Amino acid sequence: MSTNIRTRLADNVYFNEINVDRFKTMRLTAIALLPLEKESASDFALLTQVLTRSCEEFPDFTALSKKLSSLYGASLSAGVRKIGETLALTFSIAGIDDRYALDGDVVSKELSELLLKVLFEPNFKNNVFDKNEVEQERRQLIDLADSEFNDKRIYANARLIELMCKDEAFGIKRYGSREDILKCTPESLKKAWDRMLKGASFEVFYVGGAPAESAKKIFKEKFVSIERKPEELHTEIVRKAKEVSKVFETMDIAQAKMLMGFRTNCSKDDEDVFAMRLMNVILGSGTRSKFFLNIREKLSLCYYCFSRYNRFKGILTVESGVENANTQRTVDAVINELEQIKNGNFTDEDLRLAKLSVASDFVSICDTVTGNEEWFVSQLTEPEFLTVEEITAKFNSVTREQVVEVANKLTLDTIYILSSKEGE
Amino acid sequence: MQIKEFKSERLREKYYEIEHSSGLRIFVLPKEGYRSTYAIIGTPFGSINTQFELKEGKVTVPDGIAHYLEHKLFESEDGDAFSKYAETGANANAYTSFDKTCYLFNCTEQFSKSLSILLELVTSPYFTKETVAKEQGIIGQEIKMYEDSPEWRVLFNLLGAMYHNHPVRVDIAGSIESIAEITPESLYTCYNSYYNLHNMALSVVGNVDIDEVLEICDKYLKEQENAEVISLFPDEPYEIKESYVEQIFPVAVPIFNFGFKLKGDRLHTEEELANLDVLLFMLASSTSPMYRELMDKELINSTFSYEMFEGGGYSAILFSGESRDPQKVSEIIKAYFDKAKAEGLLETDFIDAKKATYGDALSSLNSVDTVANMLEDFYFSKRKIFDYYDAIGNADISKAQTLLAEIDTENSALSVVKGE
Repeated sequence: MSTNIRTRLADNVYFNEINVDRFKTMRLTAIALLPLEKESASDFALLTQVLTRSCEEFPDFTALSKKLSSLYGASLSAGVRKIGETLALTFSIAGIDDRYALDGDVVSKELSELLLKVLFEPNFKNNVFDKNEVEQERRQLIDLADSEFNDKRIYANARLIELMCKDEAFGIKRYGSREDILKCTPESLKKAWDRMLKGASFEVFYVGGAPAESAKKIFKEKFVSIERKPEELHTEIVRKAKEVSKVFETMDIAQAKMLMGFRTNCSKDDEDVFAMRLMNVILGSGTRSKFFLNIREKLSLCYYCFSRYNRFKGILTVESGVENANTQRTVDAVINELEQIKNGNFTDEDLRLAKLSVASDFVSICDTVTGNEEWFVSQLTEPEFLTVEEITAKFNSVTREQVVEVANKLTLDTIYILSSKEGE
Repeated sequence: MQIKEFKSERLREKYYEIEHSSGLRIFVLPKEGYRSTYAIIGTPFGSINTQFELKEGKVTVPDGIAHYLEHKLFESEDGDAFSKYAETGANANAYTSFDKTCYLFNCTEQFSKSLSILLELVTSPYFTKETVAKEQGIIGQEIKMYEDSPEWRVLFNLLGAMYHNHPVRVDIAGSIESIAEITPESLYTCYNSYYNLHNMALSVVGNVDIDEVLEICDKYLKEQENAEVISLFPDEPYEIKESYVEQIFPVAVPIFNFGFKLKGDRLHTEEELANLDVLLFMLASSTSPMYRELMDKELINSTFSYEMFEGGGYSAILFSGESRDPQKVSEIIKAYFDKAKAEGLLETDFIDAKKATYGDALSSLNSVDTVANMLEDFYFSKRKIFDYYDAIGNADISKAQTLLAEIDTENSALSVVKGE
């Protein structure tokens, strides 16, 4: 694992330097963490897009794109994601390492400066964001929100979360709602920008071969001039499902989508989180899982059936695509596979191989640029960053009794079935 | 056995190409500082290879058979390959594209054992009536999953509009009806032809050295007699079949694919490909005036993209995205290409486009999986990787102009998937 040198720049602002010289490119990412709330999610989502569209020096996207293309096709990107009930606003710039420039060009310094310009020197008109720029990005964000409906797997998954977590912040989509996107204004975005700079917890990640001193220095200079008041971040963990809620919907599609959501009574801060992660691998993640071997290979019910454990929210979801007539059979099969683990019907070998697979995935992560960053991003809400070796050791100490124990903590919360209209 | 070394000072990379005594072509690219290793073995047998000629004569096989064969090869008499890989902690997979089938794994330990599993997998077919029948349900659901993917539909509808006869117009997995015709015998016919080691290539990238690879290959691969197979394609007219095709599907934002059909009689060389990549960046990337106009008129969003799409007997430039008015988008694209043909390309824009194309291609050398897949692709396309990178550095505006002149914007088709 590459080591991470972490430096405090200001109140809840950290710079993480991950020095690796085996890649052809460098990458600099600033992540702002804020509470996920209905009132502000759309403003923040739109803010990320407006900020990376243009800035004071490059006041429209053609000028900014041209600048990026002259820097060997560097890419500037932004997005929002949910980490539990924390909203993470991500701003990244990536480009070639200076060693590979065609004629001795130096690009890394300019890349760092450009990311700062985008974050701190927006394209303002009369002290708020440019109206036309906001409109262009609003239209695109609405398209993005709408297009979630296009892909039926993504749609069905989003619908499950919406239904299951309707009374929790987690039920809010990462970019809020269509209605809230329509309410954003240049003024509300300016407020969101001020709030981000003052109240967000920031983590900056640098992955590259050259030293990051200059990038670190300019980030520090920017932040010390801001009066900081970091906001509290919190995720509500619902420990147990009250009762099973079943929702059936239909659409004009070829294949039924079957989804299930469980409360796990176990989240990232609980000691048994590593046992739960391994339980998820044995149950439904990968080609050696019970779902793959039994529901797909033995019963031939589906092409895909897998489970996903979200340790930040303490939920486990299951997804599959099946014939309409087989939805109940698949639900029963999933419950049966879980019962098997609850009753200890899995081998020591299953557990050993699950640990091996997890360890192998962790090591592979470090062989990509984004993986090096992602390793730490996935621990952003943890009290401290651990290395691959440290986390692998925690997985290796899990016993089969602990796996059985955590499997017994699961309670089924919601079943969502989106079926095709045929045979109605 | 012959070993050749290829080196690029500019890219600080080198790889070895080996003609193994078994007949297999092997590429090894060690990457310093990496802890994972990615290995992939492929054959130029994809969904388009439904007709071929053997010594015994001409053979026609059902649509989707290459993909079906890929699924079935994972099973052998003593269990499935996934369970064997689990023993080594490797992450294994396989895929079938239009023009090839590949089997791969990524590992961090026990590389030799994983490689032996991979080689065993592709050299020990086991197809029975029962195992073949079992797969119908699984692949049937895979086909239905793709039927619900509007991106997949819009692409195949476009290919169906552009091509009259070429099998690139048919779904990679075939159809529920076509896969019902697949038998153990037809699988063996395909296997014995295209999975002959003389027709295959293995690429290994990452934490590896050449001796490790050769030791396992020597141990597991027996010398094979070359099975000569010639892929056959039906005559395909140069002209498109239909200029517009539309499907109604529950989508919130209409999506489109638009393509210029090019002559598919031969693959582009490294130099042509590099010049085309620079040319397309110039004309269609987010820096281009065309992109700007499409955005300003609110006709596209950031999902807009383009690609060079080519393989045995087909070649096209594709544009895709979401739009409330795809017809208008296609007209504007055509107009910009025609304008560039008539007025010529700007030297300053060309230099920036060249740098950007180089930077983009360079970043793909970061990951072991991308590099290994590139080695396979380039070998089957009879191209050399480093020649392609050098050709980007040497891209030439007059050559790009010549390639542009060959694009007939009227020989194009538009495919739209929209809600009711």
